[in-house]
Amino acid sequence: MKKIQIASLVLLAVLTVAFCMLEAGTLRWLQSGMLEIVSPISLSGSAVKSSIGSLGKDLVSLDQLQVEYERVLSENRKLRAENNGLRDLQQDNDHLRQVLGYRERSSFRLVPALVLGHDAGAWWSTIKINRGSADGISPDMPVITDKGLVGKTTAVSSNLSEVVLITDENCRVAAKVEGTKEQGICAGTRDPAGDLRLTFLSKLADLQPGQKVYTAGVSGGIFPSGIALGSVKSFHARELDGEAILEPSADLGSLEEVFVVTGAK
Amino acid sequence: MRQAILFIILAALLPVAVALQDLLPSIPPFQARVQLLPVVFCFGVLALPLVPSLFFALATALVQGLALLQVQSGQVELGLTVPVVFFLLWAIMLQMASEATQGMRWEVHAFGSALVTLTLLGGEFLALCCRRGGFPVEMTVLVRIAIPSAASLLLAPLLYFMLRNLVPVFVETEQLPKKPGFHR
Repeated sequence: MKKIQIASLVLLAVLTVAFCMLEAGTLRWLQSGMLEIVSPISLSGSAVKSSIGSLGKDLVSLDQLQVEYERVLSENRKLRAENNGLRDLQQDNDHLRQVLGYRERSSFRLVPALVLGHDAGAWWSTIKINRGSADGISPDMPVITDKGLVGKTTAVSSNLSEVVLITDENCRVAAKVEGTKEQGICAGTRDPAGDLRLTFLSKLADLQPGQKVYTAGVSGGIFPSGIALGSVKSFHARELDGEAILEPSADLGSLEEVFVVTGAK
Repeated sequence: MRQAILFIILAALLPVAVALQDLLPSIPPFQARVQLLPVVFCFGVLALPLVPSLFFALATALVQGLALLQVQSGQVELGLTVPVVFFLLWAIMLQMASEATQGMRWEVHAFGSALVTLTLLGGEFLALCCRRGGFPVEMTVLVRIAIPSAASLLLAPLLYFMLRNLVPVFVETEQLPKKPGFHR
């Protein structure tokens, strides 16, 4: 074996031990650094993905227009196409007004963000969003939509952040049930159905399907009080406490736009 | 020099693979996710000689570990130790397989990628069970391990032939008489 190979193996051993001994702070710093490297690829990949998606939609529209061309006069077709275009604009306008309205109505300072994609890890529920420390975002900030709580930020780089969803077992939220004094801890499950589990309720709690559950907002916690978490699907008493299964308020499977809560207004 | 270029290209592919696998949609009905990192890792380990392949395994472990890192209340759920040990062991085994087949073969890459994905996801699941408690082996879990492994098996030949055709340095490496690996 050459000397350079022996030296390389020694270096490898040193690096291996060093990596294995890294602490949480250093690992988080390294993770932010990696997000910094990955962010240009993720952002441009997401842009390409949405362009390809809209290209598919345009092709469908062209096809439909071709059928229309066979059936109606050219002037009529032109008017229809124009009308379709205006309708799309109206839908976009309505959507943006709704989003803007929520942002203005909300009592929180919100930073709007686009979801770039779900992380590929099999056992964790996380997404990446296109906002980072440059937009005033830091780790452990709540992420919401106009429907309810989505999760909280974990790793943050300058223009990309990772959000752990409430459907992840690691994301625990203090919660209260509407119309009762029941409070518990809400967390995700490993079930792909994406339900939430609300535990530490009273065994005698008489929860009915459809009852709303909100964040309890404990002091020193991350999540402010009163954000919708989900609605009760079922309730059963266990040996020591009661447990409810919740359906999340926000549609976590098809998130496109979210808001990061950076503080109170 | 050629090995250094190879190493740099492969190391650059690691964050690309992480970013791309996040952008790919999940596979219904159990939302299984395609894993590209194990496929790139296998290719790298088979294309590089022993010592650079071990460094490449370390780089892969770093990228994979950081991509999945979860810090909750100052506690790391899964640190870098598990991925480092895992990828170093697989690098050694794949080098031995490469030695046995007298060079890089697409079949070894395909089956290696599938096995690395299978053991990676299975290992992560076991580590999580140890950390969080419980051992819920359900159909969901099995499907979430099996589908990405099958996807790796299918994707590996695509990556293999794409890299061989697009990047000439990979073909040139295969034409070298013998790699300085495990020989006596």
